[in-house]
Amino acid sequence: MNNDFELVPHTADIQLRVYGKTLKDFFRNALIGMFQAIGPKSSACKKIQGRLVCPDLPEKREIEIISIDLESLLVDFLSEALYLSDINNEAYLDAKIHEVNEKRIRATVYGVKITGFEVVEVKAVTYHDLEVKQVDGVWQADIVFDI
Amino acid sequence: MKKEITREDLMKLDEFCYEIPRSFRPDMRVPAQVYMNERMMDAILGDRSLEQLVNVSTLPGIQKYALAMPDIHQGYGFPIGGVAATAIDEGGVISPGGIGYDINCGVRLLSTGMKEQELRPHMQKLATAAFHAVPSGVGRGGKFKLSFEEIDKVLRDGAAYMVKQGYGTGNDLEHCEEGGCMHNADPAMISDRAKKRGLDQLGTLGSGNHFLEIQKVDKIYDEKVAKVFGLSQDLVVVMIHCGSRGLGHQTCTDYVRRFMSKIADFGIELPDRELVCAPFKSQEGTDYYNAMAAAANFGWANRHMITHLTREAFKSVLGKDAWLTTVYDISHNMGKLEKHNVDRNEKMLLVHRKGATRAFGPGRPEIAAVFRKAGQPVLIPGTMGTASYVLVGLNENMEQTFGTVCHGAGRRMSRTQAKKSVRGSELRERLEKQGIIIRCESDAGLAEEAPMAYKDVDNVVNVVDGAGLARKVARVVPLAVIKGG
Repeated sequence: MNNDFELVPHTADIQLRVYGKTLKDFFRNALIGMFQAIGPKSSACKKIQGRLVCPDLPEKREIEIISIDLESLLVDFLSEALYLSDINNEAYLDAKIHEVNEKRIRATVYGVKITGFEVVEVKAVTYHDLEVKQVDGVWQADIVFDI
Repeated sequence: MKKEITREDLMKLDEFCYEIPRSFRPDMRVPAQVYMNERMMDAILGDRSLEQLVNVSTLPGIQKYALAMPDIHQGYGFPIGGVAATAIDEGGVISPGGIGYDINCGVRLLSTGMKEQELRPHMQKLATAAFHAVPSGVGRGGKFKLSFEEIDKVLRDGAAYMVKQGYGTGNDLEHCEEGGCMHNADPAMISDRAKKRGLDQLGTLGSGNHFLEIQKVDKIYDEKVAKVFGLSQDLVVVMIHCGSRGLGHQTCTDYVRRFMSKIADFGIELPDRELVCAPFKSQEGTDYYNAMAAAANFGWANRHMITHLTREAFKSVLGKDAWLTTVYDISHNMGKLEKHNVDRNEKMLLVHRKGATRAFGPGRPEIAAVFRKAGQPVLIPGTMGTASYVLVGLNENMEQTFGTVCHGAGRRMSRTQAKKSVRGSELRERLEKQGIIIRCESDAGLAEEAPMAYKDVDNVVNVVDGAGLARKVARVVPLAVIKGG
């Protein structure tokens, strides 16, 4: 079992289980997990044990969001990353979360230019069964993506 | 309030229709009805789709019943294959999740006017040409880059704008639901983010279960109606399945976010956040409906431009006189304002169809004039290597399902399961052995769309036909499948 994220079987879409020791880790792992799950294609990167590994992540984007609660914040954060990915043809495989609380996040995401996705593109991040909670001190949630 | 649903909770109304009564849960405003047969029941009970249907029945203003079609499967908020009609003059709501993230995902059918024998020798070349002509648009853009100014015109006038620009013909519009343009569309209701995403996505397929197929008519069930639709035995046709791309997805995401922050103000309690909604007559509700229409217009413009690209591909192989005529274009993720009878009163309803297709019968004013006598063509795509169907709408169905039928076969197996049980390259070989040509960018994507991951489309369509929701007109089978590009 991974300690950052893993795929969970789901009838029609992609379900990601995300973990994080801190809320910052959790948001960072959610972002990375989402992009790793859909298999970005970049000639600069290599696939190692099912995950894309890049020597360098030269593309940098800033994200700042205010939402009504923690689940909405997560959905809005990942949705913003998808938007940036779509208009810039990039995938973000790391992030620095500068600050995060229940209603606000400020982060820098790092990525590479891509030529597409091996698996599929994400239509949306959904609220399906979304509950961000701490289990034995570890932040955890199952996120379902419509694809 | 999560109660698991078992066979005991389903009341059999007749051979194809089952009901979960209001007594099942205190927050239900209407019963929930599912069209299915015995064969499908275990699969349907096996996921959360019926629980979601019960959740839908709690929506303010919902009329008669929350409905599910035989291809029902678990979605988010609404099940896929779900229908909910709300009375807009009685506080009825509009819910973006009831229409779907891919606004105006739909299907267009084109006729080559030629028989299989004539085109068989060219099939490999046609498949290759179509594959190169129509990009998936994932990671790379489409061939028609729009400016911010131009995209507003596409959002306002849909496929009609593209005809004005010299692509396709008025005949394409006449053979398209809504004439390829909903007139309440308001480009100002689409966010800049959504527009930015749409600028280079016109004429692109997208990924997932979207496809372009070259097919042939292999069975005619209703000679008379088939003739009206322009279909005949062994006719080669082209089917396009796609939607409004990133622009549509962003629009739904934007409004879900906007509605989410207002839901407390509306005093609406949601059993599931994905059911977020607003009263149709509120500012939010109106804005979303007009945004939905604009995104829908982008979807029609998209299928219209893919048609254009496919025509060019066919011309490059068959010569400049080759043509593809639009048979019809339907939407299966949509919200429509329609008048329906409820308890003998005519009411204006907002009919949400998510993974469900409108199927109106003869005489209905909304249908294209050319089909008003016969009834509306209904296009039901199957999956790779399986059949697709053309049906005709029936008047008898208006009372039963607000004139609605299924949209396709519906998923049964998870994507991770599908990948484990079938390798993309094996699937490609298997389909090629059946004589089906495959042009696909990713074998992984192929395996995920494996036909065994879907419910049997023949069974789904037989339930629709058997229940009198629509009538089978023709069956088409794939000759070549194009995905991605």
